Amino acid sequence: MVWEYLIEHQQRIITLVRQHFMLFAISMVFSLVIGMIISIYASREKAGKAGKTIISITAAAQAVPSVAVIALVFLFIGIGATPAIVALVVYSLVPIVFNATSGLLSVDRKIIEAARGTGYTDRQILWKIKIPIATPVIMAGIRSAATINIGTATVAAVIGGGGLGDLIFTGIKLNRDHIIIIGAVLTSLIAIFIDTLFFYLEKKVTPRGLQVER
Amino acid sequence: MIELTNISKKFEKKIAVQHLDLNIEKGKITMLIGPSGCGKTTTLKMINRLIDSTEGDITIEGKSIYEMNAVDLRRSIGYVIQEIGLFPHMNVFDNIAVVPRLLKWSEKKIKTRVEELLDLVTLNTSYAYKYPLQLSGGESQRVGLARALAADPEVLLMDEPFGAIDPINRAKLHESFISIQEKIEKTIVFVTHDINEAIKLGDKIAILRNGKLVQYDNVTNILYEPENEFVEQLLGHDRNIKALVLKKNRDYIVQTGFLKVQKSDSPNTIIKQMQEEGRRKAMVVDKEGKFEGLFLLEKTKQSAQPRLNFVDDPIFVEKNNNLQETFSLMIEAGESSLPVVGPRRSFLGIINLEDLFNELRAQDR
Repeated sequence: MVWEYLIEHQQRIITLVRQHFMLFAISMVFSLVIGMIISIYASREKAGKAGKTIISITAAAQAVPSVAVIALVFLFIGIGATPAIVALVVYSLVPIVFNATSGLLSVDRKIIEAARGTGYTDRQILWKIKIPIATPVIMAGIRSAATINIGTATVAAVIGGGGLGDLIFTGIKLNRDHIIIIGAVLTSLIAIFIDTLFFYLEKKVTPRGLQVER
Repeated sequence: MIELTNISKKFEKKIAVQHLDLNIEKGKITMLIGPSGCGKTTTLKMINRLIDSTEGDITIEGKSIYEMNAVDLRRSIGYVIQEIGLFPHMNVFDNIAVVPRLLKWSEKKIKTRVEELLDLVTLNTSYAYKYPLQLSGGESQRVGLARALAADPEVLLMDEPFGAIDPINRAKLHESFISIQEKIEKTIVFVTHDINEAIKLGDKIAILRNGKLVQYDNVTNILYEPENEFVEQLLGHDRNIKALVLKKNRDYIVQTGFLKVQKSDSPNTIIKQMQEEGRRKAMVVDKEGKFEGLFLLEKTKQSAQPRLNFVDDPIFVEKNNNLQETFSLMIEAGESSLPVVGPRRSFLGIINLEDLFNELRAQDR
């Protein structure tokens, strides 16, 4: 049954996988850019308590279920691929901002002072000291955002986002277990693949000095 | 060289520094010392404008630092803090190369300079590719010093650089710091809360309390003519012993009161000579005058005839070390005299505990 369905609906499945990836990729790019900008601004020394506030807000926001976010986006923006992407951006932002802000804020003040005393400008301190040192924490946030994003993109199908969620909801409507299984398994495989990919990416971009044995 | 004129710094809640005048001499080490909260670190950070003063002016070689761009100023001044100040994501090479790269030196010039500096701070070139997490506290501190010296700045600011290091390694770092300074002759402003460190390393000491300068003078004058009770307390009851740091072994070497022999001499002759002079030990020196060890005269129960025992790792002191270390070594080892050696372990004579006591007494005038 599964095989037959796979072969028969090959074209549709490929399209859905591609859609799913597009939802993921586009929303991740937006989340990354927006998330990093928010984190960098919130963690500036001049921003004072803003960083701590952002951390509290995002920590609480992590408890909000994805369906709730999608429902809200549906209410305010409507249906289609764009609202789906908006929902995914908002939802992925949370772990990215949480981790990036805490990572940037946790860089030792002594190191920052040494950098300033050595003659780094504020911008150089951000790019050459704070971001590299916070990389492991920032990357962990991006990785968990990516995995959550793949899963949430499935739910986005209810507001017409497309992707593998379509397959699952079709299966539920038609009461065909094998269709549900195909949708679920494919989503899981993509999630595992993305997680592994980001795991290696994390290793690769983390400066070697932070990974060495003592 | 560095002139602080009527400098004050008010923070929101407290006044850290009040009307401070300080003239820091070129090529000398000036120690800033005082209890915590006395304003010593604030004063230091005002020199490279990590903190801007509320009032007054600071000039370096006649030029006001407030007329300079703060970032350019900092690049022209070396800055050393506790070991944590190294950048953990950069290896030793990149850490040292920080300022040269900010100043856009060529990579070739940077490489030569880094090697030169590793050599100066007595680290092997293989350290260049290690990371801060792989270094010991002492090694990190050497790298920190090398980084501060990278662009050959005239002025070096050091904020309790050896504070987090254990006493044994700190003493070693002090020795190498002194010999490095002899080579580079930088103008160094050094913050510490350790009076022993201040006496050992400083040419001049500025004592601060509640943001005000209490006394500013060279080390000898501070030790012998403390301005007031506060300075006396800071120096402690044992300031006479502390003052021994300023004296070198080489000025107290004596040529009498010991027996010098060669290892090849016949044991019986040596024993006879020792018995005649009533000595328990004899200095063993080779033909070139190199100190080899000691002969100890030992009596055994088995026979009436005493035996010679050769000690090849005896305790000795070096001529350029200070009397305070020699003094503690004598007390520790329970010896009333110790051999003194020069370069390549050449035997120079001995130093007597009695002479050290006389020195202490002379200070008590």
